[in-house]
Amino acid sequence: MQSVKVEITPPKRGQPDQRVEFPHSEGEVSVLDVQNMTVVRSGRVIIRDIDLKINKGEFVGLVGPNGSGKSTLLLAILGVLKSKTGTVSIYGHPPMSRKLNGKIGWVSQAASNLPRDIRITVRELVQLGTRNASNMFFWTNSKQKELVDKAIKMVGLENVENTDIARLSGGQRQRAVIARALASDAEFILLDEPLVGIDRESRNSLLKLLDLLCHDEGKTILMVSHDLTAIRQTAHRMIFLEEAIRFDGNTNDFPDLNTLAKLRGIEPVHSSGDWNEHNHSKEEE
Amino acid sequence: MGIGVFILEIVAPFLEFVAPIIPGETFPYIFKLEMFQRALLAAIMVTIVAGLLGIFLLIQNLALIGDGLAHVSFGGVAVGVVLGATSPLWYALVFSITASILIHELQSREILTGDASIAIFLTGMLALGLVILRVSGGGITTEIHSYLFGNLLLIDEGSLDMIAMICIISIAFLASIRSTLLACTIDPMAARIQGLPVRGIGLLFSIITAAVVVSMVQVVGTLLVTALLVTPAATAQLIGRSFRSCLIWTQVFGLSSVFFGLYLSSELNAGSGSMIALVSAIVFGIVAISKISFDYVYQTNEN
Repeated sequence: MQSVKVEITPPKRGQPDQRVEFPHSEGEVSVLDVQNMTVVRSGRVIIRDIDLKINKGEFVGLVGPNGSGKSTLLLAILGVLKSKTGTVSIYGHPPMSRKLNGKIGWVSQAASNLPRDIRITVRELVQLGTRNASNMFFWTNSKQKELVDKAIKMVGLENVENTDIARLSGGQRQRAVIARALASDAEFILLDEPLVGIDRESRNSLLKLLDLLCHDEGKTILMVSHDLTAIRQTAHRMIFLEEAIRFDGNTNDFPDLNTLAKLRGIEPVHSSGDWNEHNHSKEEE
Repeated sequence: MGIGVFILEIVAPFLEFVAPIIPGETFPYIFKLEMFQRALLAAIMVTIVAGLLGIFLLIQNLALIGDGLAHVSFGGVAVGVVLGATSPLWYALVFSITASILIHELQSREILTGDASIAIFLTGMLALGLVILRVSGGGITTEIHSYLFGNLLLIDEGSLDMIAMICIISIAFLASIRSTLLACTIDPMAARIQGLPVRGIGLLFSIITAAVVVSMVQVVGTLLVTALLVTPAATAQLIGRSFRSCLIWTQVFGLSSVFFGLYLSSELNAGSGSMIALVSAIVFGIVAISKISFDYVYQTNEN
């Protein structure tokens, strides 16, 4: 596989770019700065030579086929996985630093990750997000309560805040988990496949919510998904990852399928197939 | 004077005050005589802390860890008895905490997932206890029997102090880090990213569980620990609609099982531990059947 980033000419499609550009200039506040990162798991290189800089207020979509290292990259950024080489700095601090308490929100696939043997209301779940190493021995204070209220309102679950999460739909549950990430007043939100197991309607409203968080609340968002269409609808910037970063740029410049196939070093099998749909059906098998 | 005796002196007047209105022929004596008061106090304290722990164990799918650690404690008790210890429960405490930490490490390092590690410790330590008892020539004596099935009447001042100390520390710990523990339990990854020391909390929780199980061994016995640890919490899960309501319902079911169990055991002259376990299982059955029939009727009406 090629290691060099391939220069591509952006394919012409649709309207010219109307979105705000987020230039990588020196003056910008850098939320995330990854340099030369390589992650090896049980002797196999999962991702290599990752250089990634995300600025405040960006909505970045991280896409790639299954097993391309998307989740690994997220976990390495968060410091859950150790990288073999390279550095990560979030707001100028190494991951897992105490100074980052409450600054990072993490959203996983809620539908599959919450245990079944528990009765917990939306409010109780969101409240758990306010906990960190400095307040772990104390009960919730009024300031944290305010944050919880705000987070629940932001995701639009006020009317079900006292409902057991087991009674919610997949989309509502995912919103609850997003609210938990917001309850710490996090500015940088990372989402790992938040759209899995959610029907189309909730998916769209969830994407709207993320868009709103980015534009109105000034949150920085890094979302991993294999749902190319969804990411295209919302993200400003897209990163295509397959072991290494193959594309990093404005969403409107994201290559079409044939160019993408060339980037990945494979000859396209379908001349006009939807990569995403194809990938999606494989996932559900 | 230990902490258990101190608490007993505070609650004794109250127990004597309510004794005249307690039903039954022999049951009121439990509230009157000091020996029985000790037993009652120990049972109540253990039930409260077991309920708190039980909810967290259910979420982690570790319902049988109580059973496992109780059998490990039995191994410890056997070693203590053979060595001629005056209170073999201290041996049980050491064995149980060590096993609990090892089980936690095996699971968190993913060397052995699920309950396989519990099974290994359960059988291994039970076997150790039995072998040691047989080799030393003691066999299953009355004392050993009371550790297997619980004997409230064998709770002396020393045991009461130990039980009270474990329960108070555990309740204080669980109450203060309730939310943190819940966050670490239901989504360890998110908790870690939030900046919570998930490993440390898990380890502390294992130690607390081990200590509580040992304190329960004398009350309900090795074989019946799970009855107080898991059954009330599982019953509460059936009807609770929030974490808070589950906490309250667990205490309601746990304490009422203990009272009815003690009442029946004293009136029918049956073993206290087994009667408590039986009552809590019956309570679960009644609640489960009512819930299923209620849901059925409710759904039929709705359609």
